[in-house]
Amino acid sequence: MSQSLAPECNEVKERYDTCFLKWYSEKYLRGMGTTDNNECAALFKEYNSCLKGALKQRGIDKLLDEAREDNRENDATLMGKKK
Amino acid sequence: MKVFSNSETFNYSWEEVSTANWRKYCPWNQKSTHVVAVDTVSRSVDPETGILRTERLITCKQTAPDWLKSLLGGCIDESQVFETSYVDPRSKTVTMVSANLTMSNLINVQETVVYRPLNDHQTSFEQSAQITALCGGWQRIKNRIEDTLVKRFHENAIKGKEGFEAVLAMSRRVFAEERERERMMLIQSQASNIRLAAVAA
Repeated sequence: MSQSLAPECNEVKERYDTCFLKWYSEKYLRGMGTTDNNECAALFKEYNSCLKGALKQRGIDKLLDEAREDNRENDATLMGKKK
Repeated sequence: MKVFSNSETFNYSWEEVSTANWRKYCPWNQKSTHVVAVDTVSRSVDPETGILRTERLITCKQTAPDWLKSLLGGCIDESQVFETSYVDPRSKTVTMVSANLTMSNLINVQETVVYRPLNDHQTSFEQSAQITALCGGWQRIKNRIEDTLVKRFHENAIKGKEGFEAVLAMSRRVFAEERERERMMLIQSQASNIRLAAVAA
């Protein structure tokens, strides 16, 4: 798996990525992964809280919020909500 | 504004490609070394459509030409890209849209990548990017910045294809080994069940 931009998050990221890949290939692609509350949720929460701190420290959190805002139109089109 | 576009065919099923795509930038890919980190920021499945939406932050390290550095003020060797991807399992489409986070007030790069099945064994990859230098000043300089970035896209695309082929080949091997291991375990447990049944009888 790839590294995290924050080395302190690498270990939990690796565990989450492995969990996600298994879920994606064995459940999601077979139509059995329609909920968010899956077996990887707890790992994601742990990874995300580690990452959030690192992003804030580097000032990337604000840039992310802006980019997310700019992406709204793509979201509307690609989530199939805009006909 | 300059446009870069590229298309490729991978001789793997859409399921294999869309799975391996999550680890495109792992150590198996020894070509795309400019990507130094990939972090998942958010992920959710839409209960209505089944679409998996993922936000990732991609960290790149690539040396910029000296003239560009002096123009833009030095520290541009490390940069971040914000990628949002949408996997639609019904239409079997992966769409990834990316924009640069770094230097976004000076340069705007918008990239779209789509993976679609061509048949059961082949998947198409369509990539397009729009590159716009926003900095004021001479058109000649803007053109030069845009051309440099288009060239970079082209070089990274060639390396990306080679690197992803390696990841696909490794993924197929690892999945096959995993399946074989599971099959052997099943056979072993069945064999021991039969032995137990024989003893009990």
